[in-house]
Amino acid sequence: MTTLNVRDGAGPVAGPATAAAGAWSGPVLTAIARTVVALGRALLIAVPVLLVSTFITFMLGGLTKQDPASLVLGDSGTPADVARMREVFGLDKPLLLRYLLWLWRALHGDLGSSWFTKIPVAQSIAQRLPVSLSVAVGALLIAVVLGGVFGILAAVRQGGWLDRTVTVITSVLGTVPGFITAIALITVFSLFVPVLPSGGWVPPSAGLLKWTSFLLLPTVSLSLDAAADVARQLRTGMAGTLHENYIVGAQVRGLPGWRIVLTHALRNGAGPAVAVLGMHVPRLIGGAVIVETVFALPGIGSLTKDAALGGDVPVVQGALLVTIGLVLISSVLVNVLLVKLRPAARREI
Amino acid sequence: MSTLPDSATAVPAAANAAGEPGRETLLSVRGLRVSAADGSELVHGVDFEIPRGSAVGLVGESGSGKTLTCRSVLGLLPVGVEVTGGEISLRGTELTALPAAEWVRLRGTDLAAVFQDPASYLNPSITVGAQLAEVLRVKTGLARRAARSRAVELLHAMGLHRPEHVYTQYPFELSGGMLQRVLIAVSIAAEPELLIADEATTALDVTVQAEVLELLAELRRDRGLTLIVVSHDLAVISQVCDTVHVFREGSIVEAGTTRQVLRAPRHPYTLELIENHERFGIDRVRKQRSQR
Repeated sequence: MTTLNVRDGAGPVAGPATAAAGAWSGPVLTAIARTVVALGRALLIAVPVLLVSTFITFMLGGLTKQDPASLVLGDSGTPADVARMREVFGLDKPLLLRYLLWLWRALHGDLGSSWFTKIPVAQSIAQRLPVSLSVAVGALLIAVVLGGVFGILAAVRQGGWLDRTVTVITSVLGTVPGFITAIALITVFSLFVPVLPSGGWVPPSAGLLKWTSFLLLPTVSLSLDAAADVARQLRTGMAGTLHENYIVGAQVRGLPGWRIVLTHALRNGAGPAVAVLGMHVPRLIGGAVIVETVFALPGIGSLTKDAALGGDVPVVQGALLVTIGLVLISSVLVNVLLVKLRPAARREI
Repeated sequence: MSTLPDSATAVPAAANAAGEPGRETLLSVRGLRVSAADGSELVHGVDFEIPRGSAVGLVGESGSGKTLTCRSVLGLLPVGVEVTGGEISLRGTELTALPAAEWVRLRGTDLAAVFQDPASYLNPSITVGAQLAEVLRVKTGLARRAARSRAVELLHAMGLHRPEHVYTQYPFELSGGMLQRVLIAVSIAAEPELLIADEATTALDVTVQAEVLELLAELRRDRGLTLIVVSHDLAVISQVCDTVHVFREGSIVEAGTTRQVLRAPRHPYTLELIENHERFGIDRVRKQRSQR
């Protein structure tokens, strides 16, 4: 009886307090939990991918018949020198052990040094990463803005002249390789109307305007096919959502047209475009070799290319590690963003 | 037609308000014609008047033009379908030639609607509370925080338990009856005068249907909301409405007070509708009514 009384007495007191605390914090917590779960799931995929891909590149480096030791020493090296050099490089050890050693050091921030120049790999990467990142981020921004604006406009004006024009232009841009665009842009903006430099690089410390002028052509030529893909995916995705009942529902509530398009339709129609943008990120960072070559940019792409041609395994490994890392980060971000955009679809991912 | 001798309907309180004679007309539809793009006419000159504070039923089988009539009133006809004749006036304002911006202003604050399949009329990716608060912010100019607490109040007023919890849920987390209550909250958030319930209870099971109809009757009584109830189901109409218009093939074939129409149908089609319904329990409602 007494216990019953206590419970009765405590009930109303505890009730409102927990209700008030649980009312707002509970849902916020579940929202955070959803993000954490998405993040965790993405990392669960990312770590094995990172291990497998670095192992494969390590194997490929090890399987080539190139002997870096004799390459470094040149023709004058005696067999004894080569053997000593192999020991220094650790080439006398079995491949798997070398990989594990490299991994162990890499985990501690030591990516080793170039076999040829002796420059620490981390230092070369630190020099070149800002170049690659600024081009990639610039290209991403252009792709999002151009692709976003034209994709949305085409979807809203379905079947109109704007929609058809966007379809034609995106189809053309989607098939033209980046280096053709690059050469075309150089021809127009550096030769016919010489307003922009045809290549090279200055750091932002040399003046933001100058930095931008060197950055503009490479970013644009790198971004156009991503922009075209984003526009196409966004147009298709939004065209579908604009026919949904909840759009009529939003109209019945008297919400303004732009708000319906930008919040209600965009949110549900942007998924494919975001996914496609995520798939373009590897191309923008690691795959920018050609554009970096055309514009003589000292980025990660050209570092990887030069090292791979010379057989400089530590540099290739380090550059790939950074590229793969960036790609994985972007795919994690994309997955988290997709879950945030469409919570109802989280079971599909 | 506007004076109702049978005020003692299934919802007595609502009927009291409806009993006052000489109420002003809120919405009047005159000779409304709606045609498809290929030139075929779908609604052939429909006339009716909705007195302020009344509940009017539009009944008929699917394809009879009742939904197109409502969509015309809302200015949201499907692509390729348009009003080709007649007038729709809301408190004397002609709606058929209204510019798009005026429609946006009018919807939500003067006219509102709820439809069948409530889940599809809410954005699946936004919590129901945020969608309700959005209407409050955009249409009534409330600040974010105020909109949130007002939204919770509204959800509570719609008879939803734990409104704070419901606020944070996504449409896929709620049942059909709860979603229809949420949609009703969303549609009346900016305090419109006229609510169109187009087959709003059709997809719900009978118990929930009765509860939602009771909610609509309550809103009419407490907030002076004028109702247009569209249904193929005479039982739904008889539970809420004081007058009824029977649609068939794009025209109104019979109109009158609900009691008149149900007890002494003049048109053979109405008679057929009622006979079809007898097996499903409307019989009982009619008996109750004739005893009074």
